[in-house]
Amino acid sequence: MSSSTSLTKASKAPKAGTSAVPIDVLHKDTAKLYTHIHPILLLSLYVFQFKSIVADPVPALVNTLIALGVLQIAYVSICLPPTGGSATPAPVARAGGKKKTAPGKLESGIQGKIIPAFLSLLLSTLAGTPVLAITLVLFGAPLTTHHAHTVLCAAHISFLAVLPAIYVYGVEGEKWRQIVAMFLPIDEVFGAMIGTVLGAWLGAVPIPLDWDREWQKWPVTIVTGAYIGYAVGKLLGGTLLKGKKIMFE
Amino acid sequence: MASRLDKMLLAAANLLIPIAILVFATGFFPYKPFMPGLATYEDLSFVEGRFGAGTDIPEPIFDKVVFMVVDALRSDFVFGEGSGFAFVQSLIRSGSALPFTAHATSPTITMPRVKAITTGSIPSFLDVILNFAESDTTSTLAGQDTWLAQLRAKGKEPEKRDDRVGGDGNGNGNGNGNGNGNGNGNGEQRKEGGGGKLVMYGDDTWLKLFPGFFEREDGTSSFFVADFTEVDDNVTRHVPEELLNSDWNGMILHYLGLDHIGHKAGPNSPNMHPKQLEMDSMAQMIYSAIEEEQHLESTLFVLLGDHGMNEGGNHGGSAPGETSPALVFMSPKLQQITNGGFPSPATLTGEFEYYRKVEQSDIAPTLAGLLGFPVPRNNLGVFIPEFLSFWGTVEDKARLLLRNARQILKIVRATFPGQSFPDKVDESVGCDGSLDSGEELACKWQGVVGALKGETETEAVLEKLMDFCRTAQDIMSSTASNYNVFRLVFGSSLAFASLAFTVVVLRSKFLPLTSTGIFYALTLILYTIQIFASSYIEEEHHFWYWTTSAWLFYLFIFDSRKGWFDIPFLHPAVMVMGLHRVARRWNQTGQKYAGADDIAHSELLRNSVVLWSLVGACYLDYAMRLGRAVARSIGPQDPKAEGGERRRLLGLAAVLPLGVTAFLFKLGFTARDAPELVEGVADGLVRWVEHYVSLVGAARMVFVGIGVSVVWVVVAEGRRRRRSSRGAEGAVADRHGLATALFDFLTLFLITQTRTQNIPLYLIFRMQLFFLRLLPLNRTQISLTTLLLTHTSFFSLGNSNAISSIDLSNSYNGVSGYNVLAVGLLVFVSNWAGPIFWSSAGVLLLLDGEKEGGREGEGEGMGQGQRRTEGISEEKKEEGRRTVRRWVEMEREHLAATPPSSSSAESHAFPPFHLDQPNQPSPSSSTPSSFTSANSFFNYITLQTLFTTSSLLAVMMACTVLRTHLFIWTVFSPKFLYAMAWGLAWHFGVVLGLGGGIWLSGR
Repeated sequence: MSSSTSLTKASKAPKAGTSAVPIDVLHKDTAKLYTHIHPILLLSLYVFQFKSIVADPVPALVNTLIALGVLQIAYVSICLPPTGGSATPAPVARAGGKKKTAPGKLESGIQGKIIPAFLSLLLSTLAGTPVLAITLVLFGAPLTTHHAHTVLCAAHISFLAVLPAIYVYGVEGEKWRQIVAMFLPIDEVFGAMIGTVLGAWLGAVPIPLDWDREWQKWPVTIVTGAYIGYAVGKLLGGTLLKGKKIMFE
Repeated sequence: MASRLDKMLLAAANLLIPIAILVFATGFFPYKPFMPGLATYEDLSFVEGRFGAGTDIPEPIFDKVVFMVVDALRSDFVFGEGSGFAFVQSLIRSGSALPFTAHATSPTITMPRVKAITTGSIPSFLDVILNFAESDTTSTLAGQDTWLAQLRAKGKEPEKRDDRVGGDGNGNGNGNGNGNGNGNGNGEQRKEGGGGKLVMYGDDTWLKLFPGFFEREDGTSSFFVADFTEVDDNVTRHVPEELLNSDWNGMILHYLGLDHIGHKAGPNSPNMHPKQLEMDSMAQMIYSAIEEEQHLESTLFVLLGDHGMNEGGNHGGSAPGETSPALVFMSPKLQQITNGGFPSPATLTGEFEYYRKVEQSDIAPTLAGLLGFPVPRNNLGVFIPEFLSFWGTVEDKARLLLRNARQILKIVRATFPGQSFPDKVDESVGCDGSLDSGEELACKWQGVVGALKGETETEAVLEKLMDFCRTAQDIMSSTASNYNVFRLVFGSSLAFASLAFTVVVLRSKFLPLTSTGIFYALTLILYTIQIFASSYIEEEHHFWYWTTSAWLFYLFIFDSRKGWFDIPFLHPAVMVMGLHRVARRWNQTGQKYAGADDIAHSELLRNSVVLWSLVGACYLDYAMRLGRAVARSIGPQDPKAEGGERRRLLGLAAVLPLGVTAFLFKLGFTARDAPELVEGVADGLVRWVEHYVSLVGAARMVFVGIGVSVVWVVVAEGRRRRRSSRGAEGAVADRHGLATALFDFLTLFLITQTRTQNIPLYLIFRMQLFFLRLLPLNRTQISLTTLLLTHTSFFSLGNSNAISSIDLSNSYNGVSGYNVLAVGLLVFVSNWAGPIFWSSAGVLLLLDGEKEGGREGEGEGMGQGQRRTEGISEEKKEEGRRTVRRWVEMEREHLAATPPSSSSAESHAFPPFHLDQPNQPSPSSSTPSSFTSANSFFNYITLQTLFTTSSLLAVMMACTVLRTHLFIWTVFSPKFLYAMAWGLAWHFGVVLGLGGGIWLSGR
């Protein structure tokens, strides 16, 4: 097999990538507490909705999506530093080297978070969802039928993976290149993102089985995989793997 | 540089592959020893005169049989609502017909089914292979005991029949020819004295199985599936005349039209109902003759299907539709036993199950009883009890069943040599506790013996007999006892050894871990795991589609780490992904969604103008490529040299006849094989082609044309290489021209062997190859990409792991007679066309990599990184011009779509050519580039071998461990057959042979 040269990567890695630091949860008790409650809430929501999603995916996915959006907004505004901000409330701490200044910096506590949170929601709906829907189709989602299913599936993945990422990383193109190229150090947002995408991908595994279960239909397994992947990725990214970088060549 | 030891290990690993396959196959598909010779009536004297003398024989009910097989006659075609068989249904209602659903075991293809019907045995899976190699003499039934042989021997003084267990099956029977041979060594003495005569019209499978059996015969072959009428008219035209002849005892008719309609357009085709009406009218004609003609008054008329069809109209597997053909016995005499008939159309009692379900093998003993001859020797069928009412005395009924049971018992005794089946009451035979198969049968047989010897009512004895026969049938048809477990384990061990050798060869490559290596390993591991799940075998394409998408996405991420592509959605890896997405939708395959919408059967491609534009574009593309190849061979390779344009025109002119012939052949073939696809396309041309182009001749011209051109190109290249001074830059630069040319000629051959609807896929494959060339792939990545795309393309061309998906339509291109080798090769090529394309393309990618020198060896990553940063050199522009010229217009469009502003894309597209720059190869690798590149092919071969051996090992282990699994014959065995084809024909013939050839030609 090919041998790797980590040397090359190190020297070729764009400068911006090297300076990125993992996102910390805000240093507040509520934040530290809620960041652990949040995935439990999400999974409970999903479990609670699962039956109706299986029974009739489209309306149930819409309902779940709304709840998911609310929860994600709550999560990012309680737990995460908005783009350009940092984990510590005091302006003393290290400000992320190259981060773009976000509009509502830290001027007024609530507003500085709620607006970016809603912007993230908007962007993950308008940009994240279509991109992910196309990606889903590239990965084999039905093209001629089940449009609502696919778009809703993409929206769920987008809310899980992209919304917090926009909130903390912003919308800068270079930053997103680093995200796609997996240059960022792992933190709970990036970990959750990778987890969601991998989970959604693995979610396709049970579809061909001949178990004749209702839940094998499109896109139930994918969304399920995304939720589970989100929780696992977020947990691992926030704890075990935090600060690690993905190296591959 | 691969060491000598590594090379030897890899050679050993490869040599072990065929040995492992053969050893395993002989243990897995044991050659069922059949008992030769004709059966005689069993002597029943052991029951001590309970049923009279041991040789008393129940009176036969019929003396003639008309056996009308309608290929793929599924049960609902006859019994269901909306069936066209109004007359047969009226007979069922009136009680002149006895309807059944006859369960056909997998494989549900004609030859094994005919074997089951005529011998009463359950044909071994080996018959599937023999079905495709029909001329193999072991597959003839001339030496076996069948009801045909019994019918022919009937009436020839049965006492004199020699029950010698003679081994010389075929020779004698074949030699006697013209209906006199019995094929069991006793033909001479039986030739005298009347005997039965047989006539046969229809599917020539029967003629192959029963050479020399028939007094009069006319075989039809299912050459063109689009032929719905002629195959049947060829049968029908003989029937009225034959019904007036009184010299035959058995008339066999085998109609193919209905099966053709199924293959063509499925069970709901608009042609289906008219065909059923036609078959019904045949049944009516025959039945009326039986009623009216004196010499036919004791004639049994059997109408049956050899197998059914699934919703896609195919068969071979074990879906309920495929295993449930109809079976109707008809005769005015049946009114004696039916008590007023059955309701018809009938209601379903299960999936495709109407009336009572019997086994297909039951037909043989039933005919034996009704027509009065001994049950064939290898029969595992049970006399259908409904017919017992024909015989007034309970003794006669018992005799029939007892003889049936005794005959089965012989096989049981041979199968369980360790178990005793005494003919007297034996207290030592226990029936308690958990019994294995042999013990259970011994217990049941004791029940029979006990009932016979005791005071039991004869009715109760009948029940015991039925019970024994049915149990024996069940146990003996699940051939679990037939595996040679030692060979299974030994074969698997050999595969394991092969795998171990390959791993040893790779030992030094494991570290450092690379993401590609990890991806490769994961693919391998997941693949081997999923082999143990029957649904993943049926749906294997999903695994490959799924993995390939992920891999291409990975390539996109991987490349993004090097630099940002301006428009990520136009990144080459994403483009390949998009094309992959189209390709995987081209043909719906597998079990679960078989028959669902796909592109090949969409309205878009039904539109023949669209289809033929795409096909034409494909041919045009290849004509131009081949033209370049020929142009290259007739002058200096430097395209800027004097007269370049003229040479290209000349080259195009030289290959044009070949291209046109190939296209006309495809057009003519399609006009006959799938006329609906050429409707509206240049009618005049189609008609002209149909009239004036001989398909066999055209195909031969194409093949010979390709062969001659290849020889020409190779010879020209050889001469040029000799002429050109060593190290001349031009020669080096163009070394791959020959490989490309060979690849293009090969693809033309592959296209010729591909179904018309699939030909546009080659455009997609071409584009994928084009985009892949834009990606800087290292050799491991190339190997993995090749592996994934070979399998993806296999499935996207419509193949699956089911026997029913084997495409035979192109297997006789250019072959007029039957030639196992030629047909076998063509079958393989037409089914493995995609994999052949991609493994050859993979070698081209490797050669590309070699050309870029620095990419190989230790410093792969380094090479890429440096290339990327290098400016656009003069060389590169030159290379670019050359490259652009290499692609036809369509591809040029895509090239234009690639953002020119991105310098990274540029450097992808036209990697600088720096083989001759001494400082370019990676710092750590000081070996000359030729060695490095030899290494890269070695590396590729090693990785392919690794995959072949591990998948083979997984299949073998799955088949060994799951040999008692319910789906062993329906899912795992076909998978093993496919694994054999992948391991032998593909790995050896294509990866090593063809790939090696192209590699050598490009170096």
